Amino acid sequence: MTCEETHILLHALLDNEPDAAPAPELEAHVASCACCSARLRDYRGMGEALTEPGLRYQAPEDLRGRIERALLTTASQCPRANAPGRRGLLRGIAVGSAVSTALAGVAAAGAPYWRTLFNGFAFGSALSAVAAALLMIAVIRPDQDQVIVSDVVSAHLRSLQANHLTDVQASDQHGVKPWFSERLGAVPPVPDLTSQGFNLIGGRIDYVLGKPVAALVYQRDNHVINVFVAQDEDAERSPKLATLQGVNVALWSEKGLNLCAVGDVSAKDLQDIRKKFEAAA
Amino acid sequence: MTSMAGSRDDDRARRFRDAALPHLDDVYTLARYLLRNVADADDAVQECYLRAFRHFDGFRGQAIKPWLMAILRNVCHAEFARRSGPLLVGAEAAAAEDASPLWQEEAHTAEAEMLRQQDAEMIHGLLDALPEPFREAIVLRDINDLSYQDIAEVMGAPIGTVMSRLARARTMLRNAWLKRKMMEQHV
Repeated sequence: MTCEETHILLHALLDNEPDAAPAPELEAHVASCACCSARLRDYRGMGEALTEPGLRYQAPEDLRGRIERALLTTASQCPRANAPGRRGLLRGIAVGSAVSTALAGVAAAGAPYWRTLFNGFAFGSALSAVAAALLMIAVIRPDQDQVIVSDVVSAHLRSLQANHLTDVQASDQHGVKPWFSERLGAVPPVPDLTSQGFNLIGGRIDYVLGKPVAALVYQRDNHVINVFVAQDEDAERSPKLATLQGVNVALWSEKGLNLCAVGDVSAKDLQDIRKKFEAAA
Repeated sequence: MTSMAGSRDDDRARRFRDAALPHLDDVYTLARYLLRNVADADDAVQECYLRAFRHFDGFRGQAIKPWLMAILRNVCHAEFARRSGPLLVGAEAAAAEDASPLWQEEAHTAEAEMLRQQDAEMIHGLLDALPEPFREAIVLRDINDLSYQDIAEVMGAPIGTVMSRLARARTMLRNAWLKRKMMEQHV
């Protein structure tokens, strides 16, 4: 074993990770090499210093309390589906029709966006049976799609905070496509939606399921739509509609792309937008 | 109202709370080091736990601590991206890691004694000054005490990457520490 190899592998000795490096060979090298044994000694000292308890934090009591209360609130306010088979979005999430107004109010007061989202959960008024009937949820696979819907709604609501709708401003595709090309190595379809009264105002990179995606921002009066576009070779979702926290979401796939349109507009508006995207791809 | 469905949801909340809350301090500690700001860490941990609760059905009985910490890490990274561009990951980090071989960077070996002098505030400052993804690697290993396997899960990277980042992080920390100690001695 060389010194060069030892420099990385000796950490496995320090960290007691026998599977990460061959201990006998390491120990043999260290025993016969002054610089590596000195290095090991130094790192041992440093490791001991890092056990200092003052380097570990305790979560503040009120944070713990808030989380506990939020869990209980969310559980007890979860709307009950009468049909036992009804699953998907209605399960385990407190959805509030008053939430988006409340969110707007808190956001205007300048609270950090996380507090905003959290307060939305705490308010969570129950979803009425009538509202449930309007949901038009086609079969939403409980795991992945539920997560995607909640991620894009969070991203959408975050973006509505002042100053963070767009990182590039443009009113047509030629303004945004090169910007995305440079940052994502790919170009989303950017159709013209002016026939529905939506104007493109720009784009940004956002994060869905922890991955960077293109976000296209359109606006009509004071309604904003975010269209999130992610590359996915296996994209093959049939169109679906969902709603969460007072915003509607349309999900669909085109060749090699998964798209979500999110906004405080009608499901019909989102369907029309989807058709425009499909025509533009 | 105590329908069957009602108690099932309460039961789910209770199960999540019992499984996840014991790790709150560890998750909070990681948030403090990643975001370097108390209010932000508070918000991030809250968001993390709510998100984890939403996704709890998809969690299939593997160790919950690295799962929670991976969610926290995603929350922090998304917030950084929202504010000021992504944390230094990917191509830029790879370049930083390749920059120069480890052994050329070592200062002359100093007394191990110097490194053992404990001063939590100073060490915290040195950790905060480490760039990502190196700060994250050393915090997960030496502060959160995760195994290499768990760190790999939290970072979403192979164990080889974890080891090379950790080795480099410790080198950076050691050099910064020695510099600091030597400066103090000359004051």
